[in-house]
Amino acid sequence: MSGFAPAGDPVIPDYGDVSQCVANNDLFCADWFAAQWPEVFQPALLEHILMTVLAIAIGFVISFLAAVLAYRKRWLTAPIGVTATILYTLPPLALFQLLVPLTGLTLLTVEIALVCFTLVILFRAVLSGLTGVPEDVKRSARGMGMDQGQILRRIELPLAIPSIISGLRIATVLTVSIATIAAFVVDSGLGSPILKAISSPFNTQFIGAGALAVLLAFALDALLTLLGKALTPWTKARS
Amino acid sequence: MIESRESLGITFEKATKVYPGTSAPALDGLDMTIEAGELVCLVGPSGGGKTTALMLINRLIDLSSGDIRIGGTSINDLGPIELRRKIGYAIQQTGLFPHMTVGENIGVVPRILGWDRARIRERAHELLELVGLSPADRWVRRYPGQLSGGQQQRVGIARALAADPPVMLMDEPFGALDPITRTTVQDEFLAIHRAVGKTTVFVTHDIDEAIKMGDKIAVLKPGGLLAQFGTPAELLTAPADDFVESFLGDERGLKRLALFTLADVASSEAPGTTPPWPRLPESTTVRAALSAAMAERAGGVLATRGDDVVGLAPLDALVHPDLPEAVA
Repeated sequence: MSGFAPAGDPVIPDYGDVSQCVANNDLFCADWFAAQWPEVFQPALLEHILMTVLAIAIGFVISFLAAVLAYRKRWLTAPIGVTATILYTLPPLALFQLLVPLTGLTLLTVEIALVCFTLVILFRAVLSGLTGVPEDVKRSARGMGMDQGQILRRIELPLAIPSIISGLRIATVLTVSIATIAAFVVDSGLGSPILKAISSPFNTQFIGAGALAVLLAFALDALLTLLGKALTPWTKARS
Repeated sequence: MIESRESLGITFEKATKVYPGTSAPALDGLDMTIEAGELVCLVGPSGGGKTTALMLINRLIDLSSGDIRIGGTSINDLGPIELRRKIGYAIQQTGLFPHMTVGENIGVVPRILGWDRARIRERAHELLELVGLSPADRWVRRYPGQLSGGQQQRVGIARALAADPPVMLMDEPFGALDPITRTTVQDEFLAIHRAVGKTTVFVTHDIDEAIKMGDKIAVLKPGGLLAQFGTPAELLTAPADDFVESFLGDERGLKRLALFTLADVASSEAPGTTPPWPRLPESTTVRAALSAAMAERAGGVLATRGDDVVGLAPLDALVHPDLPEAVA
């Protein structure tokens, strides 16, 4: 009983001193952002990178195998394409709702959803890269006595790289963006500070996290572009 | 048998191809014997089956009936992959692999045959010199996209020759080249053919190219029927039917002049005074020499060897190159 503070004498928590920027809730307060970096933003950024890279990697492996299969067995192209498109059109939040009872509020739920969104882009990118190899080149390869596996590994896949890279770039930027919604399921990634800033509208928090997501998308896109250039030295070699 | 490094003859025995879903054959009972070392041109209109005939040889498509033998061995006695690795194959320049350097392109078949790196590199250098891309070091590391059409075609020929195959198949290899480059590459290829002596089957839709390149010409007509098979001179002198005659064109008599050179027709007696006629090397074709004489309104041409005049070829001799006595 006596442990309670007497009525009329409320305890106001002491949040310490704040800068003018924070007190005014200006658009972006660098001092606050810097102070919160080690505790909030850096971990969120790293989690976000992990979520994105994992989703792209898994999505790529699945799409790649599906595309090679569809390339060999043309009749599979339509069923695989339709399945991937349906998965792509599902609203992300609805997909989370659907998955949570099965896989819980876990990273697994998030990854399943994210992978679903990459499939249609990556499948089409790999497949169009393979089908885009000129007929003359394939006929030459066959005529020279390469078997199917050699033609795929030495001719078709290398020539499909530009198309595959451009698919990876689109899928990656998309995944960085969609992964912010993962905060509805797990307290992880750059979506988490954004979601929290919705209930207590502190500008620096969601603008900072949002800006990090944008910068991350740009950075990964640039990285993939460089990777593409390194893998296709023949495309820039024009005299 | 097919392992031997010499060239081998090719025999078509009632070779027939009917594509699935069609009733008319693309190639209809082709009987033809190509001797070892010969360069045979397959000509004809689109739909004549010339590319079909070529692709049957290395089993890019399979025979519906009949047989093809290479050096006595039926092509069906070898697996298609094994067969193709022993047959040089060159098509229009786009057949080069754009993501591989010149050296890698040439090394494709040697590599799948398991040659070691040093031997592949040595072979690539040797072939680049042979096709006139010299010094080879300047070319091996370039990509096809960095080469002109003529250079790409030379690489295509080098690549087809890489594993020293006893038979070469070429499908309109010079089709995409401009006329000047085309003439140069044709001349070079003829020189290479004389040097290496590979049995070569050469598909072209250009009758002039066939007359120039072929030891023999096979004319195929719509429906995949062989209209005539013979030397260029035989075709031009005695076309087998109206189709061959019309395919040779209404300048048949003039085209025949391209089969002779000044060395064949010029009189070797050097006269006291040489008329002021155009001077041409004795390797010039009679057709070109006649054209030069007409352009200059001259009564003939002078055949030269180096700087020396070695013979006279008056118009009569140019017009009837194989009847010199009848003219006088």
